[in-house]
Amino acid sequence: MNHDIPVLTLGAQGEVMAHAVDACVHCGFCLPACPTYALLGDEMDSPRGRIVLMKEVLEGHLALPDAAPHLDRCLGCQGCVTACPSGVPYGELITAFRGWSEPQRARSPLDRAKRWAILKALPAPKLFSVAARLGQHAKPLAPVLPAALRGPLDLLPERVPAMQPSPAVTAARGQRRGRVALLAGCAQQALAPNFNAATLRVLARNGIEVVIPDGQGCCGAAALHTGARDEALRLVRTNLRAFNPDDYDAILSNAAGCGAGLKEYPVVLHGLPDEAQARAFAAKVQDISEYLHGLLQGGILEPTLPARTPLKVAYHDACHLAHAQGVKAAPRALLRAIPGVDLVEIPEGDLCCGSAGTYNLEQPELAAQLGGRKARNILGTAPDLIASGNIGCHTQIQSHVRRQGSPVPVMHTVEVLDLAYRGEL
Amino acid sequence: MPRPPTDGPVEKQALTTTSEARKPRSDGSPTNALAADLTRQLGPRKVLHQLSERLNYRYDAIQFGVTPLAVVLPESTADVVAAVKAARAAGVPVVGRGAGSGLSGGSAPMQEALVIAFTRMTALQVFPERREAVAQPGVITLKVTEAARPHGLIYPPDPASFRTSTIGGNLAENAGGPMCLKYGVTGDYVTALEFVDAAGDVHRVTRDAYDLAGLLIGSEGTLGLITEATLRLIPPAKFTRTLMAHFAEVGQAAEAVSAAIAAGAVPAKLEFMDRACTNAIEDYLHLGLPRDAEAVILVDTDGNDLDTVTGELALVEQACAAAGGVTRLARDPAEADALWQARRSISPALGRIRPQRMNEDIVVPRSALPDVVREIRALGDASGFHLVQFGHIGDGNLHPNIMFDPRTESPQAVHDLAHRIALVALRHGGVLSGEHGIGTMKRDFMTDALDPATLDALRDVKRALDPAGTLNPGKILPDPQTPEAPHAHP
Repeated sequence: MNHDIPVLTLGAQGEVMAHAVDACVHCGFCLPACPTYALLGDEMDSPRGRIVLMKEVLEGHLALPDAAPHLDRCLGCQGCVTACPSGVPYGELITAFRGWSEPQRARSPLDRAKRWAILKALPAPKLFSVAARLGQHAKPLAPVLPAALRGPLDLLPERVPAMQPSPAVTAARGQRRGRVALLAGCAQQALAPNFNAATLRVLARNGIEVVIPDGQGCCGAAALHTGARDEALRLVRTNLRAFNPDDYDAILSNAAGCGAGLKEYPVVLHGLPDEAQARAFAAKVQDISEYLHGLLQGGILEPTLPARTPLKVAYHDACHLAHAQGVKAAPRALLRAIPGVDLVEIPEGDLCCGSAGTYNLEQPELAAQLGGRKARNILGTAPDLIASGNIGCHTQIQSHVRRQGSPVPVMHTVEVLDLAYRGEL
Repeated sequence: MPRPPTDGPVEKQALTTTSEARKPRSDGSPTNALAADLTRQLGPRKVLHQLSERLNYRYDAIQFGVTPLAVVLPESTADVVAAVKAARAAGVPVVGRGAGSGLSGGSAPMQEALVIAFTRMTALQVFPERREAVAQPGVITLKVTEAARPHGLIYPPDPASFRTSTIGGNLAENAGGPMCLKYGVTGDYVTALEFVDAAGDVHRVTRDAYDLAGLLIGSEGTLGLITEATLRLIPPAKFTRTLMAHFAEVGQAAEAVSAAIAAGAVPAKLEFMDRACTNAIEDYLHLGLPRDAEAVILVDTDGNDLDTVTGELALVEQACAAAGGVTRLARDPAEADALWQARRSISPALGRIRPQRMNEDIVVPRSALPDVVREIRALGDASGFHLVQFGHIGDGNLHPNIMFDPRTESPQAVHDLAHRIALVALRHGGVLSGEHGIGTMKRDFMTDALDPATLDALRDVKRALDPAGTLNPGKILPDPQTPEAPHAHP
């Protein structure tokens, strides 16, 4: 698409944005991949439409507040990136655009306070845990609370588990085959501490030593994708200091959103002094399923015990795993490797579940529509178990599956493996 | 490039329009009398009037046009009638739009207009007992087959964009697709239409008498707005086999095609792509296509008798080998699906080469294919532009595309090259459009393709159904006052 984006005055992030706009041939192949287009059926809530809106704003032809409602409705799921034959880096475009535009946004005090609270609480596991506990007690009040508060409360599990601090180093069992670093994650530590516990057990069982480096923090994705670029840069640099890529075979994440965030560091730092360091770092980042799949392909993944009864598992592709990181085959291969597991595909599998970072808090209505649709699609396959690789999808799917009256368990892929290793699947 | 219209700015080149529609910030209320009237009649949900909304209904997959005054998203035929009547009362032209995946500028407004976008008219019913489906225009093409398949039926027309494009858009352009070699184009599957005319009256027509339905199909929204179609469904073939062949030269591929069909093969699909296409696709899908080959052809034979299916494939295989090609059979349906996904992605994947392109849609007699593809290749090589070729070669329907960057390459030179390509087709007894329509992209070439008397007959048809010229103005027919197109090749 031709444009007159003033790249020179916009700097390195301007280059990122101009390149993406340039690459779009406005063919419309992205439309059926877009969750908001599926719900709203209008062009300005489609990826192609949003690219045009961003272009017009950057060129000075359209006021930001006019475009903002449509851009805010984008989940950032990147389903369009997978669908795009022209290779438009839409995710880079919308992230850079949000970073560029946020300082120009006029937000209400309530809006600002909400954003501040989200951005402070999400990256601080202890604070988040306290908030989640308070929220858990407030749940019965949900029906009388304003919608802005009801959304997050609905997503909280009935019982917020106790924090389980992870050890700094987990030794390999048996012969040591490798050494990896793990990003501990933020909200996940509070809401699903077993994700990390299972990850450590599965890796140790396969002879992998796991280090959780001190001084690490939030990956910065939530800040970055909501346009809080300075905050994101601070978090990114904190992690670059905490993880020395030379010390590890791989830097692992077991949350798709965080893993995608880590892999994005070179784009975030494009044109800045730490860019080379970010490249070296990102080159080592893998999702837990990618890393384990590597062991499986190498023939050195320890076999699991078979499931106790034949088990139909519906695997849900987290957008930040399937679309942002392009990881689709690995988790499926790992689950299929468990004897007795019958893996089923979910209709409309590429469509986002509506969780998408802070989307549940910012666009609760659309998020709920997508969550309901996802739960119906999943339950339609009559699964015994639902597996996924992202805490956001996990809470969203669990919440909507329960709302539709189903008790089917929802687990992280690595939890399923962990149970299989222990003969408890 | 198409010449600029006389009555409004075209945001094609640099998109730095000076259109009055642009202003710093809209205040939330309808910006003109038409939008206000429509909102009053249809309610705010179905009418878009904000600049941020209207900006997004000015383009299709090849061209940017003029920002519309208002956009209506109808949910029923009655909504369409109300919209057409309101536009007529306001003296504003009407442009119909599906998913905006067209490739000839058909749904990009050429002047300030009312856009009626059918994406919310998505009702679809399947009647298996009479092998028909009744679809509103906003139904996504692929959904028809998806809805029919449980009844043991399919809807064969399959444009490359079938996951995105709508039935209404397919009807407006008389879309084709790979399956059309054996099974025919969109128009061959229509048994009845409902449409709204320029005055806002509703008509229901079938394929008899003057075949008004046939006239509407492929008329690119210039004669009426289709609001419902009855579509024919067929049972799918029991067996399908897929073959890929690659060649060291594009003319060899065309020779193989001519020979295979002359030998009696009637493939279900027979497509080709040149080296630039294969490489753009490889960059996207990483299928292991032969990057060094100058041309690749993809073939499906199908039928209910396996011997016939494999026999026909063998005919194609022999023709390819005789022309110097290397053939490979798809091992399984998954590999065949991947190859066809590759074919479907060519057009948009070409964006990886240059940001803009001029898309041709010529059809030539199959016997002329080797000469035509060689002549076009030579024109491209001599021009200095990135010229790529692909298309439904089994139908003689070729899509030469000229890739360019308007900031560094001359759109005038692109237009001249496109014109020379069109003349190659016409010289070999071909036509300008197989499935994408004339739109604005090939409008200038119509005076080369048709004699003045025939063009006048087309203008008479247009006048009969749209006397005031308010339906999708600026498309298909060149302006009679200026028969010499300003960019015509000297």
